[in-house]
Amino acid sequence: MRIPILKLYNYLLTTIQVELDDQTAIQFQDDLLNKIHETGAIGVVIDLTSVEIIDSYIAKILGDVVNMSELLGAKVVLTGIRPAVALTLIDLGIRLKGVPTALDLEQGIEKLRQELGE
Amino acid sequence: MNIAPNRVEIHNEWDIVRARQSGRERAKELGFGHVDQARIATAISELARNIYLYAKHGEIIISVIDGEKRGISIIAEDNGPGIRDLRKAMEDGYTTSGGLGAGLPGVKRLMDDFDIVSEEGQGTKITAKKYLR
Amino acid sequence: MEAAPVVTLINKRRSEIVVRWKEYMEERKDSSSIIDGRTIETTNDNFVDLIFDYLADNQSQDRLNNLMGRILALGWPLSYLTNGVHIFRRVVSTLIIESEMEKAVILDYFKAMEDLLDPIFNNLIEDATSTWENTVSIQKRALMELSAPLIPVMEYLAVMPLIGTIDTERAKLIMENLLEGVIAYRTEVVLIDITGVPVVDTMVAHHIIQAAEAVRLVGSECVLVGIRPEIAQTIVNLGIELGEFPTKSTLKKGIEYALELTNRAIVYKDKPSGLRL
Repeated sequence: MRIPILKLYNYLLTTIQVELDDQTAIQFQDDLLNKIHETGAIGVVIDLTSVEIIDSYIAKILGDVVNMSELLGAKVVLTGIRPAVALTLIDLGIRLKGVPTALDLEQGIEKLRQELGE
Repeated sequence: MNIAPNRVEIHNEWDIVRARQSGRERAKELGFGHVDQARIATAISELARNIYLYAKHGEIIISVIDGEKRGISIIAEDNGPGIRDLRKAMEDGYTTSGGLGAGLPGVKRLMDDFDIVSEEGQGTKITAKKYLR
Repeated sequence: MEAAPVVTLINKRRSEIVVRWKEYMEERKDSSSIIDGRTIETTNDNFVDLIFDYLADNQSQDRLNNLMGRILALGWPLSYLTNGVHIFRRVVSTLIIESEMEKAVILDYFKAMEDLLDPIFNNLIEDATSTWENTVSIQKRALMELSAPLIPVMEYLAVMPLIGTIDTERAKLIMENLLEGVIAYRTEVVLIDITGVPVVDTMVAHHIIQAAEAVRLVGSECVLVGIRPEIAQTIVNLGIELGEFPTKSTLKKGIEYALELTNRAIVYKDKPSGLRL
């Protein structure tokens, strides 16, 4: 199962539409980092609107991918985290500190433009 | 409603997804709101992952609590290495797997009741319950 | 089963017992009671009759329980019923003592009377407790419903006023409301107004911080407003870390700050140049 990653000007957009199992998540991490490297993208929006469960393992992979992308020179914004998912993350003690968030894809792009001063 | 317990054997990563999906289904049937459904499914995911990471295989048993208070009960059982220091395993941020270490204390917060029995070399049995509000 | 001798005695002296019982009840009557005398009299009659019925045959226990339950449900004080049974016991005790029977017989009579009357007390207490528990749970639900609504104020800006004490159960509900609202109105900034929260202790602060963190996860931002001086004092004295999220003293200041955050401003039309707000 591969998650499609779209390129839009300097940005990469991806929306996760499937239930994330470990393999898919790891594969996504590889694919995104490669794509950033390939395209020289400076911003990434990962939209999680359709994701119903994020456990501590998947949260770690997402947090890692944000940090790794920054090492490659791309800013990442997570968008569309559902209320139920946010509440379970809080219960799990996961805050995703320092990871920018936005309500939806549109505001995510807006946030990237602000943060990157474009 | 079908009240026979659901047993999901955990052998590989896909079983983690199967276990939590089955738990979410059951929670929904019982009338849990969608936030609690997510809490229950996430707790199962954490427990199943513990089994997969530490014991290699084990079992998740999801059943209905049909007493004075209605709810859902999740039992995670394995014959793995057991937990040497239970107190430490229940501390926030403690991990031996390289994960975020949110595991067991997180499950405790997600659920209403939490009970753990573990013996080194014998295995671990965790019972977690959540009641309808 | 043959009736206990004490029951025979009680039945034989019934009219006498009733008269004395009513006298005592009259003495003990709460003078401030708003229940009119006629009602009290009728209820007294029913009550004492049913005690006799109950003593005569245990089948009447349901009817007695029923009456006591109805009296409680009408909002009469529990003490009316306990007094009633106590006085009955006292009247009968006096009769037994006055009977000048042998000490051992008197003790037997007493014991038999206790055995008969104790179940009434037990039932009464069970009944009253379950009524109270019921009331408490209804009130708890009412409090839940009073929970915080999220009020959209402007495009992308909403306020959640918190009122009353926040316990863990309520905090969960408030958080769910808050997050659902943020998504529904696409709120960029939420002002949580704690003007109506009487006490902010470590626990309450913890719940508010969690709410703010959850709001950040779904992609919005929280500003805590309505912080009174004494709340600022407790927060600092308790060493509570509010984390990185901003606080403002009033809702007004919070709104100004939120506008600034979202690159917006209030522009006044045709305002005389000398007058600035």
